[in-house]
Amino acid sequence: MKDRTDLTLSVSRRTLMMGATAGVAALAMPRVLRAQEKPTLVTSIRSLSNPYHAVWKTGAEAYAKWAGLEHVTLVSEGNSEKGIADIKAMLAKTGGNMVLNSDPNDTPDARPIVEACAKAGAYVVTQWNKPADLHPKDFNPNYVSHIEFDGIASGKTIAEILFKTIGGKGGIVALGGLISTTAAIERKKGLDAALAANPDIKLLDFQVANWKSTEAFDLMGNLLTRFGDDIKGIWAANDDMGSGALEALRAENLAGKVPIVGVDGIKTAVDAVRTGEFACTVTSDPFWQGGMGLAIGYNAKIGKFDPTKEPPEHREFYGKAVLISHDNVEEYYKTNVDAKPEIDWNDLWGRVTGAIRT
Amino acid sequence: MTLIPGRIAAVFGGRRWRSLAPLAVLIVLCVLIAIANPNFIELRNLVRLANSAAVPLTLAMGLTFIILMGSIDLSVEGTLSVSAMVVVLLAANDANGNDYGWWAVVAAVVAGTAMGFVSGLIQTMLRIPSFMATLGMWFIGLGLSVYMLSGSAIRLNDASIRDLALHRFLGLPVAVWVAFGAFLLAAIIQYHTKLGRHILAIGGDEDVAKLSGVNVTRVRITAFALAGFFFGVSGVLAAAQLGQSHAVIGDGRLFAAVTAVVVGGTALTGGEGGVVNTLIGVLIVTVLANGMILLGISPYIQQTVQGLMIIAAVALSLDRVRLRIVK
Repeated sequence: MKDRTDLTLSVSRRTLMMGATAGVAALAMPRVLRAQEKPTLVTSIRSLSNPYHAVWKTGAEAYAKWAGLEHVTLVSEGNSEKGIADIKAMLAKTGGNMVLNSDPNDTPDARPIVEACAKAGAYVVTQWNKPADLHPKDFNPNYVSHIEFDGIASGKTIAEILFKTIGGKGGIVALGGLISTTAAIERKKGLDAALAANPDIKLLDFQVANWKSTEAFDLMGNLLTRFGDDIKGIWAANDDMGSGALEALRAENLAGKVPIVGVDGIKTAVDAVRTGEFACTVTSDPFWQGGMGLAIGYNAKIGKFDPTKEPPEHREFYGKAVLISHDNVEEYYKTNVDAKPEIDWNDLWGRVTGAIRT
Repeated sequence: MTLIPGRIAAVFGGRRWRSLAPLAVLIVLCVLIAIANPNFIELRNLVRLANSAAVPLTLAMGLTFIILMGSIDLSVEGTLSVSAMVVVLLAANDANGNDYGWWAVVAAVVAGTAMGFVSGLIQTMLRIPSFMATLGMWFIGLGLSVYMLSGSAIRLNDASIRDLALHRFLGLPVAVWVAFGAFLLAAIIQYHTKLGRHILAIGGDEDVAKLSGVNVTRVRITAFALAGFFFGVSGVLAAAQLGQSHAVIGDGRLFAAVTAVVVGGTALTGGEGGVVNTLIGVLIVTVLANGMILLGISPYIQQTVQGLMIIAAVALSLDRVRLRIVK
């Protein structure tokens, strides 16, 4: 027994060493440093394994191509430490001559990221996550802007469209996101607000499917047992859960008979809006987020505008969400799915809807 | 000092009662839920229950063999996502022009089996513990799916494969029959083949098994490949049910599968339990999830209830008194 244990240990240690050596070599190999005058554009996102961030990256690349700049994508894989360390490494490599558009992995991450950028002289735009007491104006001029999308408004808009679709009365069920996340909490608040304004609509049950289609699929089957035909519509806090619920309906021959609404505008949902199985979806437009975050930072960096002289609603603002419903889905499909979206990258503030609530 | 559940068990006849504990838990659970909400025993709900148990059951069949050996396979989610990725990319889909029909299903199951086979090779040839070897395979599989699907969700448009979930045979979706077939296959392997007995022997005491002439290396590799086969099948079922595949299609399935195996009474230390236990374990977990919705338990405390149930089921089903060390 003992011999075997020792052997296992020594082999795994050697394997580990070999792995580490290979890793170091791989790090050292690519991208020789060049002195460059044009700043490098840097995108920092959570992962490439979800459709949302994959589109974000396409938008960032589209802008970089349009502006004729070099672009690098950093992926944190949901690891805050890695996200921050990668950004610091890029700052060191570019000597601060860079523009960062970051979707910080977690709320507290925004502070060290912004501080490191300000110290190195880089320009940074953050999206979605930042601590409430961290403000762009405290890091002039480097912390240019922070962008979010109003979850309450999204949750409310889709709820109202759902209510209208089912004729203003009847029962609905709601599928919420991961309980502790801001987006889940805000979108539910929006739903609650819409429910308060429509007393004839009854919320049969609110359940949590943790943003996942797989969980929503199982959950929806169970909800059908409990409420059966009383379910006239389904409100989902994101499209992925909505599409899971849709497949559960399909298994019972109910697809298209019970309308679903969601948030995010993923392709499955857009397709479902076309076939009438979804009533609508609303998207923050990650293509725009990925490109425009860089555009805002880059224009500040080259002095097109002075962040210190911009009004507060340009420093911390809600972006305009795009609603995709039966009325505009064909148009949206043509411009966003069949072709790459055309965005006027000079229109920096065109989608500002107002300053972020404090 | 005897633990209380052990004492209760002793009163009712010791070990024999204990091996029936998971079944008792399942029955009690069903009766309680049915009393609280008669909709539970509606035929439609039973069909839904069977449908949501299909994927976890097929997965857990594979995992049972690994846990019986006293090993663990963490590659569940990675293998499942590779298999779902392969079937979607090779069958009619909305990302490329492939349309290989049922060959895509065969390829997906082969891919799953191959992943398991590699896990087995890594474990036995490089002598890396199964925990680390399969952890590595998990990430390799996930990375592969992310790369091949370029991070997005791809729709499965092949109607005949989707019929696994949408078509019904004798009132049950085909996926349920497939899962049932997987169960029968697993039961035959465990109770009627040499491989099954050798797996159990290795889990009981590897050194003794070795001395009795069991080719431990070969059995281990075969068992991991077998597990990969079941994961591959469940990947196909998951893709058929959801009508799409994305890299994170397996999210949360590992934990659910391990829970089902353990709740069913298979010991993590190996050598005790089996696929019938796992069937009951899967049903307990599925009925519980269904029941909590039927009873209208707030989503904010559902996880807590689930945790309590797991502890209760394991406490009842394992003979704690015989365990000299608890770690």
